[in-house]
Amino acid sequence: MTPISLLLVTAVVVFTLGAAALVQRRNPMSLLMGAELMLSASILVLVASSRVHGSASSQGAALLALVLGAAEAVIGLGLALAVFRNRARVDLDDASEVRR
Amino acid sequence: MTGLVGWAWLLPLPFIVLGLLGLPRRGGAVSFLGPLGVLGLALLGLAQLGNGQGVPDVRIDGFLPFLPDDAFVTHPDGLALSMLALVGLVSTCIYLYALGYMEHDENRHRFFAFLDVFVASMCLLVLAGNLTTLLIGWAGVGLASFLLIGFWWERPGTLSAGAEALAVNAIGDAALLLAIVILPVGIDSFDDLAVAARQGSLVHRDLIALLLIVAAFAKSAQGPLYFWLPSAMAGPTPVSALLHSATMVAAGVYLGVRVSPVLAVSPEVSRLVLWTGLFTMGFGGVMSLRQDNLKKGLAFSSVSQLGMMFVALGIGAPFAAFFHLVTHAAFKALLFTSAGGVIHALDGEERITHMGGLRKSLPGSHGLFLIGALSLIGLPVLTAGAASKDLILESALHHERWLGIVLVAMAGLTGAYAGRLYFATFHGSRGHGSRGPGGEASGSDAGANAAGQGDHAVHAPSGWLVWPLVPLAFGALGFGFLEVPGGLLSRALAGVVDAPELTPVVTRLGLVAGAIGLAGFFAGRLLVPARSIPLPAARPAWVQASSDAFDFLAEQTLALHTGRTSRYLLVTVVTASLAVGFVLTRP
Repeated sequence: MTPISLLLVTAVVVFTLGAAALVQRRNPMSLLMGAELMLSASILVLVASSRVHGSASSQGAALLALVLGAAEAVIGLGLALAVFRNRARVDLDDASEVRR
Repeated sequence: MTGLVGWAWLLPLPFIVLGLLGLPRRGGAVSFLGPLGVLGLALLGLAQLGNGQGVPDVRIDGFLPFLPDDAFVTHPDGLALSMLALVGLVSTCIYLYALGYMEHDENRHRFFAFLDVFVASMCLLVLAGNLTTLLIGWAGVGLASFLLIGFWWERPGTLSAGAEALAVNAIGDAALLLAIVILPVGIDSFDDLAVAARQGSLVHRDLIALLLIVAAFAKSAQGPLYFWLPSAMAGPTPVSALLHSATMVAAGVYLGVRVSPVLAVSPEVSRLVLWTGLFTMGFGGVMSLRQDNLKKGLAFSSVSQLGMMFVALGIGAPFAAFFHLVTHAAFKALLFTSAGGVIHALDGEERITHMGGLRKSLPGSHGLFLIGALSLIGLPVLTAGAASKDLILESALHHERWLGIVLVAMAGLTGAYAGRLYFATFHGSRGHGSRGPGGEASGSDAGANAAGQGDHAVHAPSGWLVWPLVPLAFGALGFGFLEVPGGLLSRALAGVVDAPELTPVVTRLGLVAGAIGLAGFFAGRLLVPARSIPLPAARPAWVQASSDAFDFLAEQTLALHTGRTSRYLLVTVVTASLAVGFVLTRP
C-alpha cells in the first residue's frame, strides 16, 4: 500500500466513524465530536492532495478548515451548554417543541 | 438643488434611525418632516418643469454586481412629480393626524418607523424610471402594508389580514417580475417601453400587458383579488387612510397609467381591464351597502372607485384615471381620517349600528366627513370628485354610449352607500341598532368592550384629529381646479400621458350625474340598518379552497417532520452519500 492510499483509506474510515456517531448518538457532545471527526477526515484528504500535487496551497486550505472547525466547535458547545442549562438533560430528541 | 429631487425617497429614512434611538420622546413628533420634504422637493421639481427645464435623472451604476448599469434609475418626469407631490401632501397630513390618533399607543416609535418605510418605498415606486426600480418600491410598499396591518398584532384577526395582504401582493410581485423577465433586451426605461409600443416593435406585447395588469390588479384590489383590502381595515385608521385608500392601492392605477402606451396597443387586455374594472366597481358599491362596519364600508368604496379608474384605463383614458386618482386620494383619505376621529371618540367602536346622532358632539369630524362624502358622490362645481368623475364619464360616453350611461347610473349607487354611511353615523339617534337581535354578537375590534355595557360615552376629540385634515378638505374641494379650467395638470403631464381637450367646469353630463348622486345620497338614509347585519364570509370560495389544499398537503408531509434531530441527520447523511455515489459512479 502506497502512503497516499493509506492516507485516503484512513480518511474514509474516520469519516464513516464520524457519520455513524452523528446518526447514532443522541448526546449533543457526541454529535459534535462526530462532526469534528468528519471534518478532520476531509482535512486529511486535503493534506494528502497537497502531497500528490506537490504544492502547498491545499495545506493552506487545510489550515483554514482547521480554524473553521474550531469556530464550529465553539458555537456547538455554546448551544449545547444553553440547552443543558434550560433542560438539565442533554438528549437532542427531547428538544422537539419547535415542531408544534 | 433639483438634482436632489431624484433622491427624495431617502428623506423619511433618517427618522427611522431616530426612532430606533428612542428619539424624540413623543414618538414620531418630528417624523412628518420627511414627507414634508418630499412634498417640497416635488413642488420644486414641478416648478422647474413649468419653467421648461428638465429635472435630472439619478442613476446608480453597478449597485449590484450582477445587474446591468441601467438597473437603478429614478426619472422625475411630470407624472412622477405630480404623484410625488400628492404622496407628500397626504402623508404629511396623516403623519400629523397619527400623532393624535396613536397618542395612547406605547409603540408609537415602531408605528412611525413602519410609516417611514412605507413613504420611502412609495416615493421610490413613484420616481422609478424603469420596471426594475419600480419593483423595489412595489415590494417595499407591500411589506410596509403587511407590517402596518398587523401593527396591533395581539388583536384577533389582524395577523391573518396582514397575511392575506402579503399573499395577494406576492401574486402582484411575481407578475411584475415575470414582466421584467420577458421584457425584450434594450428596453431599459418606461420611455423605451412607450416608444417600442408606439412603433409596434414590442414583442410579446399582449403577455407583457397582461402581466403588468395582473400586478396592478393585485395592488389595487381588483376583480377576484379584491378581498384583502376590506380585511386590511384591521390596521390602525391612519394606515387605512394613507395606504389602503389614498396612495398604496392607487399604485396599481399609477402603474397602469405609466404603461398606458402598452395597453393602447393591446386591445384584448384593455377590454379585460375595462370589464374587470366595471365589475369591481358595481360589486364594491353593492358590498359597501351591506357593511356594518364603518371602515369596511369605506374600504369597499375604495374598491369601487379604483374599479372606476381601471374602467378609464381600459377605454384608453389614462389621464382621466390619474386625475381621479389624485382627487380620490384627497377625499378618501379625508373620509377615512374623519371616520377615524369618530372611532377614536367612541373608544374604538367601528359599527355604524352603534353610532348615530354624532353631528352635535363631533362637529369637526362631521363637517370633514360631509365634505369628503359630497366629493365622493361628485357634487358639481363645488367638489373635486365631480371634476375628475366628469372627465371619466365624458371619456366613457365618447367610447361607447352604453358605458357612459352605466357609469352615470353607478353614480346613484355611489351616492347611496355614501349617504348610508353618513346618515347612520351622524344623524338619527345614538345606538339606534344596538338593541336589535344579534346587535352585540357581531364582532369588531371593540366588541369585547362594547358588549354588556351598552354604548360608550363620546369623549371630546383632540385637535390633532381635526386640524391636520384641513389641507385634505381643501384638496377634496379644490383639486378639481388643477385641471378645469386651466389644464395645469395636463400641462404637467405633457409628454408622458396624452391629455384630452379641455372640458368646461360644468357639463350637462356632470350635472345629471351629480343630481343622480345626490338623489342616491338622500335615498341612502332609507338604507341605514335598523340592526346589526351578520357579517358575510370575508373570503371568496377559491381562496378558502386553496387554503384548504395547502392544509391538506401540510397534513400529508407532517409525518416527515418528527422533530428528532438524529432522524434528520440520518436523512442528510444518506442523501449526501447517495448524491456522492451517483456522481462518482457516473461514466
